[in-house]
Amino acid sequence: MRLLALVTDGFGASGGIARYNQDLMAALSQSAAISRIAVLPRVASATSATPAKVRQLAPSADRAVWSARALALGAQQRFDVVFCGHLNAVPLAAAIAGFRRMPLWLQVHGIEAWQPRAALYRRGLAAAALITSVSRYTRARLLAWGDVPPHRLRVLPNTVAPGYAPRPGRCDLAVRHGLSGRRIILTVGRLSASERYKGHDRLIAALPAILARVPDAAYLIVGSGDDGPRLERLAREAGVCDRVVFAGQVPDVELAEYFQLAHVFAMPSTGEGFGIAFLEAAASGLPVIGGNRDGSVDALAEGRIGRLVDPEACAEIAAAVIDALTGNHPACAAAEANRFAFNRFATHVDDLVRSLAR
Amino acid sequence: MAEHAVKACHKERPFAPFTKIGSLLAAMCGISGIFAYHYAANAIDRAELVRTRDHMTARGPDGKGEWIADDGRIGFGHRRLAIIDLSDAGAQPMISADGKLIVTFNGEIYNYRQLRGGLETSGHVFRSRSDTEVLLHLYAQKGEAMVHDLRGMFALAVWDVERRKLFLARDPYGIKPLYYSDDGWTFRFASQVKALLAGGKIGRYLEPAGQVGFYLFGSVPEPYTSYREIRSLPAGTTLVVDRIGAHEPRRYHSVAQVYRQAESGARSRRGVDGAEPMEDVRGALLDSVRHHLVADVPIGAFLSAGIDSGVLVGLMRDAGQHDIQTVTLAFAEFRGRPEDEAPLAEEVARLYGTRHTTRIVTEAEFNADLPRILEAMDQPSIDGINTWFVSKAARELGLKVAVSGLGGDELFGGYPSFRDIPRWVALLAAPARVPLLGKAARMAGAPLVRALGGSTKSPGMLELGGSYEGAYLLRRGLFMPWELGQVLPPDVIAEGLCRLAPLRLIAQALEPRPRAPHAKVAALEASLYMRNQLLRDTDWASMAHSLEVRTPLVDPVLLRRVAAMTAATREPRRGVPKASLALSPSKRLPGRIVSRAKSGFTTPIGRWLQSRTMTPAAGRHKVQLTAHWSRQWAERLAVG
Repeated sequence: MRLLALVTDGFGASGGIARYNQDLMAALSQSAAISRIAVLPRVASATSATPAKVRQLAPSADRAVWSARALALGAQQRFDVVFCGHLNAVPLAAAIAGFRRMPLWLQVHGIEAWQPRAALYRRGLAAAALITSVSRYTRARLLAWGDVPPHRLRVLPNTVAPGYAPRPGRCDLAVRHGLSGRRIILTVGRLSASERYKGHDRLIAALPAILARVPDAAYLIVGSGDDGPRLERLAREAGVCDRVVFAGQVPDVELAEYFQLAHVFAMPSTGEGFGIAFLEAAASGLPVIGGNRDGSVDALAEGRIGRLVDPEACAEIAAAVIDALTGNHPACAAAEANRFAFNRFATHVDDLVRSLAR
Repeated sequence: MAEHAVKACHKERPFAPFTKIGSLLAAMCGISGIFAYHYAANAIDRAELVRTRDHMTARGPDGKGEWIADDGRIGFGHRRLAIIDLSDAGAQPMISADGKLIVTFNGEIYNYRQLRGGLETSGHVFRSRSDTEVLLHLYAQKGEAMVHDLRGMFALAVWDVERRKLFLARDPYGIKPLYYSDDGWTFRFASQVKALLAGGKIGRYLEPAGQVGFYLFGSVPEPYTSYREIRSLPAGTTLVVDRIGAHEPRRYHSVAQVYRQAESGARSRRGVDGAEPMEDVRGALLDSVRHHLVADVPIGAFLSAGIDSGVLVGLMRDAGQHDIQTVTLAFAEFRGRPEDEAPLAEEVARLYGTRHTTRIVTEAEFNADLPRILEAMDQPSIDGINTWFVSKAARELGLKVAVSGLGGDELFGGYPSFRDIPRWVALLAAPARVPLLGKAARMAGAPLVRALGGSTKSPGMLELGGSYEGAYLLRRGLFMPWELGQVLPPDVIAEGLCRLAPLRLIAQALEPRPRAPHAKVAALEASLYMRNQLLRDTDWASMAHSLEVRTPLVDPVLLRRVAAMTAATREPRRGVPKASLALSPSKRLPGRIVSRAKSGFTTPIGRWLQSRTMTPAAGRHKVQLTAHWSRQWAERLAVG
């Protein structure tokens, strides 16, 4: 099968969706059922290496240009499947798939699929032969409003890259951030003022209670975004600004070292599609804490990989963090974290591709 | 019309006798299972499996079983109502001798002896006399195509160890229920919605399509249930679950298809020899009754004053049954009045020499039982209470199996819908094509109808009456779509109507569309009203008393033969008349029975229910207290 992949973030881009797309294309390239993949991204690096069978076209950040190129590509070249990497693009992808009478495969990630959409998007959803969702939570939210038969909506979780493993932390990183000798709580995720669901603010609010029991604790925030000033203000108001460190955006290659620096990973989110950072943290040997109201439940395997808390309950968050920092909540067994390994992901992708061909 | 619907279903809840044949290890029960199919899913939770299974104790009070695969990824549960044999030979879940197949099964396979004989000829070696074991061998030989060979009522699940594939199937009419939930990682199934909920892992979010469907039809139409995360496996379909999850249910039987094929067959036969083959109705009926009498124990019969149950008792006699126990419901309020069924039923019982019991139900007993009725009611339904009491009466008499005449009206055109719907469609098809005329007529006519106190459905005649789908909704509807605002908030109505698409749902029962009006209505009644209301109610109300109810008039072989006769008659538009049914027993039913059946009968249950809805608590309800009791009752059921 020849696959046309219309994605927002391709090879060379960063972030959760980019990572997902890259993993998916790598898995597809391993499938014997796939002969060729053309990736048309909006954001990517033109020079990035791609897996076998995958050809990434030059990115077009402009939506109109990207759409026109997608239409032209669909009209001029022969494909057997259209893959649409984001719900926002489903009307376009459905038009191409419908015009060329190809099955449409749509990927949904998180909050973009949680609220009802306009008729154009509903029609696009209804046209999809296969929809994959990163979590059961996102699947259930989409089923609640979309006109989609449940058997067309499958779950394809994130997978974790092999670079994450338990190793001693780098002293220079701790020194760089003034965290030497601290027991570190880590959150990795963007700081978005429009979203504010990852729970940075709730962890800051819980910090005084944590410090009362673990005086050498500190909170390390990796990620950047326009919500940073508000969080800094909250830290000041809570009297913990000396224990909250904003590390900013970290290159992917360094991210594993930040996990190794930490003692617990906590992200009491209320809007997580899945939360790949949970897997990376668990693979790095950290105890993990996540919210019990969203896709985090899948990432934490219903509590097997990490501890699920009510993300709105500061006392519960504080208690979980204290348990982790005092050794009462150890990291999960490696076998548990391994459930999201790439080889299992790739096998499932192969099954899904073959189901499209049936 | 709603009143008619209630009366009609009372009429079609008749009754039948006692027989004793053979060696079937009956498998009436509750089944359940969990399959953690996704690679990321946790292994199944045994405690959940047990909770789900044991919520169905009433369905199977005599035994329980469970099986969990060594890798912990799949497990089956089973509650057993043992008709006689409590030996391990019939225990479930049952594993094949080679360990490659596991089955959990609810129902009865009436042709299991014939199937077994064929399988033995093919080299299959049996370890027991159980019909359940036949299923294992049949699946081994034919795979998913096994369903075409089964004659009976069933809901079953087979785990194919080598292919790592779960296979589920439900009988052609949907006599036995099967519900499932697929959360994207783990697949769960059970005989009851409430049992799945009892497992504790499924959300209780309400399904708008189920809510709207309940108010439109008086029962929740499949594949929906009251809950978003639970679906009903449609009657006559199979379902496969493998490592990517549940696939689309695959239809293997459709009532409409049977009529359509019969019409095609009749045309081609006429084309060959010009003759109209007329098969013997009696022979077809007797064949079905004989098959339904296979059992280890005496089989009783529900007996009303209608044709269907009387005919069945007569045919049971013809099939060689001598000791027949019949039971009839009666009500003190009706004593000495035309509504009282007891005298005529007793006359039928005397005619066929049955041991007969007339069981009086009082309002006090009804009020005492109501909490248990509501608990047993698996999904909201405006009916089924009469089946509750007749099943209770049968159980009191020591019966474990009873025959019911359910299905006769669907097969032999006993409902007024067979007369009304074709007439409406013929009259209104042309004006209904004028855009917006129907809607305008409804909006203009509604205030007038309200002022005159007419049926709230009548303003919609022009809008809906011009098609079979619309006319059926008019005939069977409890509330009309434009009345839903009385009972549901606007967002639920909008979402529910969008997802349910009631006219499209009704149209699916006509796929492929038969040509004859009678066949169209028969397909609609059997695939909608009988399936979603009568059979479902019969299941929960009888299983609550650990009573197995058999329905010889709901049988795919009988349907095929009657459909062929219908298509071959000189007037296929009218179908095989009910008189043919009445004439079937060698000892004919009294004429008074035949003539009475045309007027239908009722019970005081509606009045009792209505008196309960007239409580002070009813003040928070929106449906007018002058509305038909079934509408008030529907609202009370939904509001809780």
